[in-house]
Amino acid sequence: MQKRIVLDLDLCCGCRSCEAACKVAFKGEARIRHGDIGGTAYLPLACKHCKQPLCLASCPVEAITKDENTGLVTRSAMVCIGCKSCAFACPFGVIDAPLVRHISQKCSLCADREEGPRCVAACSSGALQWLSDEEIEQHEIGMRMVSKDLFFRRKA
Amino acid sequence: MKNIDPNTITVKRALCPFCSYGCEFGVVFNDFGIKGVEYIKDGNSNGRLCPRGSAAAMYLDHPRRLAAPTTGGKSIAWNKMAKELSKAVGNPKKVAITFDRNITDEEYAAIIGWCKSIGIENTASTYFEPENSLRSFLDQSFAEDDLEKAKMIVVLGDLFNQAPMSSRGIIEWKMKDKKNQIVVIDSVRTHTAGFANLFLRTNVGTEPLLLLALAGTNTEGIDVAKATGIDTSIIKGLSGAMQKNEKGIVFVSLPFGRTYDPGLFAEGLRRIRDVSGAKIVPFVEFAGYHGSQGFASILDMAKKKKIKHLINFGELFPFYYPQLAADLKDINVYATATLKHGLYAMLPVPLNLEKQGTVTTTFGKRKLPGGIESPSGSRTIEEILSMLSGDFGKGKTPAAADHKLDVSGRARRVAEMSSSKKKTLKLVGEKLAYSFLGFLEGETLKINPVDAEEFGIRAQDTVTVKSKHGVVDLPAKITEDVSPGVLAVPAETPGVRGLFDYELDSELDAVNFIPTEVKICRKE
Repeated sequence: MQKRIVLDLDLCCGCRSCEAACKVAFKGEARIRHGDIGGTAYLPLACKHCKQPLCLASCPVEAITKDENTGLVTRSAMVCIGCKSCAFACPFGVIDAPLVRHISQKCSLCADREEGPRCVAACSSGALQWLSDEEIEQHEIGMRMVSKDLFFRRKA
Repeated sequence: MKNIDPNTITVKRALCPFCSYGCEFGVVFNDFGIKGVEYIKDGNSNGRLCPRGSAAAMYLDHPRRLAAPTTGGKSIAWNKMAKELSKAVGNPKKVAITFDRNITDEEYAAIIGWCKSIGIENTASTYFEPENSLRSFLDQSFAEDDLEKAKMIVVLGDLFNQAPMSSRGIIEWKMKDKKNQIVVIDSVRTHTAGFANLFLRTNVGTEPLLLLALAGTNTEGIDVAKATGIDTSIIKGLSGAMQKNEKGIVFVSLPFGRTYDPGLFAEGLRRIRDVSGAKIVPFVEFAGYHGSQGFASILDMAKKKKIKHLINFGELFPFYYPQLAADLKDINVYATATLKHGLYAMLPVPLNLEKQGTVTTTFGKRKLPGGIESPSGSRTIEEILSMLSGDFGKGKTPAAADHKLDVSGRARRVAEMSSSKKKTLKLVGEKLAYSFLGFLEGETLKINPVDAEEFGIRAQDTVTVKSKHGVVDLPAKITEDVSPGVLAVPAETPGVRGLFDYELDSELDAVNFIPTEVKICRKE
């Protein structure tokens, strides 16, 4: 079953617990970052594990592969040559351009952890959720406050 | 011989000691040492953990972790350090004992008992203002049910950064009913303010005046609206709503160097509680403990050479307060520590994460489970005290001193500080969860676009910030979150914390760190 990290923008309080959890687990390499969207919102950005990943298409050495069963897009540290093609190809800008240990940094959805991604587990306000496509359809993510007033975060 | 297997892991439960929320989490070990943290679903925070909790693994395994006593930057044996300390406490009248963060109730009782057994009378808390003033409100513990019953929520400061775990309940409370309104009072626009139905951005340091006005205190001769920057009609409306609303909650988290008068701030909160019945719920770094006197007296004794030695049991003092070094230069300072800091005489102790014992949280007393091994060279506080003087009992801990405040005089002073006509830049502290002790990210200076333009500063430029106590270079973040004339920085490292000015509060016998006048320039 394919599951995704979903952000409920209504709940995100900007504490960056997700980023800290990732950074600590991967020894200083946070693969979920925070974006400041033109002073309107401040939110975590992680790999979407796209259905048709442009990072995969751009990789010259096939270091990036997609598991069709789980939907997980992974990068092999052994194969990556650090050319940054994936970082430039990613339409969401979630693969960091600076290299760490000469390779690009890519979210693995904490494949080593049965319970799912650490950023979701750590999220202090419950804004990040780990949901299947069916569960996403049943949820009204960010439909309570944010969608009613796009600038509610900046009203202050 | 045991085979090393990196896949075999052990998870040891711990209670996060880095704020008064007290989250439970697991520390993950494999055969090579600490691997990380685990998010325990059946813990009190349902596995959720803020950046400070996640950084716990980095703290335990920090490359600067202190593992042997040191003097002048050089390691010495414990028996030599014990000999030196025994000699120092030989004349108890010339000794002061202080305590700040990273001790348990049991250790505090042991320190007080030990002081009594050898005749040391000067004890004080080095867990400084502003949070020290909020300690008294921890006597009334808070429960999640209180939030469900609340009819109104007022938040002072950046609660969602001080205690991110509190955010979920408060946001859900807001979304539950359109009538549920959140009021946020702060001098800096924060993420917490982003969730407010009404955000009152006060002039820097004037929160105590607003609190007194909300409590209906007659501050004759003071134009509160002018001093605080909050319109009189808004103050009257909110004051009326708070006083009518018995089931209100005031959440408080006040960062370092944020207000001109923390004592008056606490008095304002007490008066709001008295007139409205609102529950005051502080979220602080640590609950702290009372001494026989305030630290202002100890500092005065050090300056007048009435004491020769100061021994601090805790974690931050004196390392995080370099501005006090000049006042302490004539005495010998010994301090327990967990990380290596400069040239002070340091005694390695376990972190609260590694201890068994009791701590005070916003939700009441909680037990530290222990079970995580501390560095081999560290000694518990009880062990250190035993090295110095064999047997000692548990002491009766001193009660909080009852101080009378000149409320109108103090209020006038805050108003005067706020209304200075001289154009200055004021530096205030921030409490960002992500900047915890500088482990996860360094400090950034927030500056208003108007000031940035005036000083020719662009985003990410390095800015030199100079106060009368020190100079620090910081990357700039240009934002309207701070008003013109205000700079904000997380005071998480000794260098930045050391920029802040302090005042000795004779009424409360306290040392107050206040918004500080600084000069800035773009570093070429």
